[in-house]
Amino acid sequence: MIQNAENIKEKEHHHISSYKEHFSTLMALLLLTVITVAISVFGADLRTMSVFTALLIATVKVIVVSYYFMHLKYDKKIYTWLVMIVAILFISFAVLTIIEYLNR
Amino acid sequence: MPNSGHNRDAEASKLGMWLFLFTELLLFGGLFIVYMVYRTLNPESFLIASFELDVAMGTFNTIVLLVSSMTIAMSITAIQLGDAKKSIALLITTMALAMVFLVVKYFEWSAKIHHGLFPGHEVYQNLPPGESLFFFLYFFMTGLHALHIIIGGVIIAVVIYRTNKGLVNQDRFTLTENAGLYWHLVDLIWIYLFPLFYLIH
Repeated sequence: MIQNAENIKEKEHHHISSYKEHFSTLMALLLLTVITVAISVFGADLRTMSVFTALLIATVKVIVVSYYFMHLKYDKKIYTWLVMIVAILFISFAVLTIIEYLNR
Repeated sequence: MPNSGHNRDAEASKLGMWLFLFTELLLFGGLFIVYMVYRTLNPESFLIASFELDVAMGTFNTIVLLVSSMTIAMSITAIQLGDAKKSIALLITTMALAMVFLVVKYFEWSAKIHHGLFPGHEVYQNLPPGESLFFFLYFFMTGLHALHIIIGGVIIAVVIYRTNKGLVNQDRFTLTENAGLYWHLVDLIWIYLFPLFYLIH
């Protein structure tokens, strides 16, 4: 019952993200940017910035942007599901392309 | 009366925007797969060519886009709270940051073109095949991305105009939300473009 009441309330009142939340999100994104640039520039002689590391950090940033800035956190779950379906479709094609190449 | 607003459906508008964003993602996704395959075939050339790009400028532009993503997200918060003036101010800030991005991009491209790295130049023609592929992909993908920045700027201008006229307000802010979604997508694409072209050393 309580959950139902909350659901109705959410429908009536669109969730409003606070300015503070947006600012914190930006700080997190800037931190990730600093990390990825630092690994590339200062770790150059260590050859640390592989394609994998770059994609991993970029993907974390993309998840943060879509979850907070693009409001997936507060929207209906259907949006998250759709995003995941598209992501899985794309990633499987990319991975299969690489596997196909490596098995040559 | 045409478009009297009785058929307005905010949820459907947003879903429509997301579906459009998926086609955009797959458009760039295809290009990323081309990049991935060519990088796998020419790892050394791509590495050498990537040192030609200016990491400082790329980092600066990344920060500019991230800040602009925050300002447009805040403009949605402002309009939802009924503060149209603040919303417009934040949208103008976002547009200004888009301009900054394009100006930096202009200087970057100019330097590369000056060095003859643009497809068609003599220097470009004589590059090892892998390196010319890198610059071809660099110009095409960042060019397509810059086009999205320009379109995003135009969309934001429309939102400013309609907010100023009161057509976008505390009760009707779907346009601002959808413009925000588009702008974040432009940011998302850059989040991948930046490390893939500038940082993999």
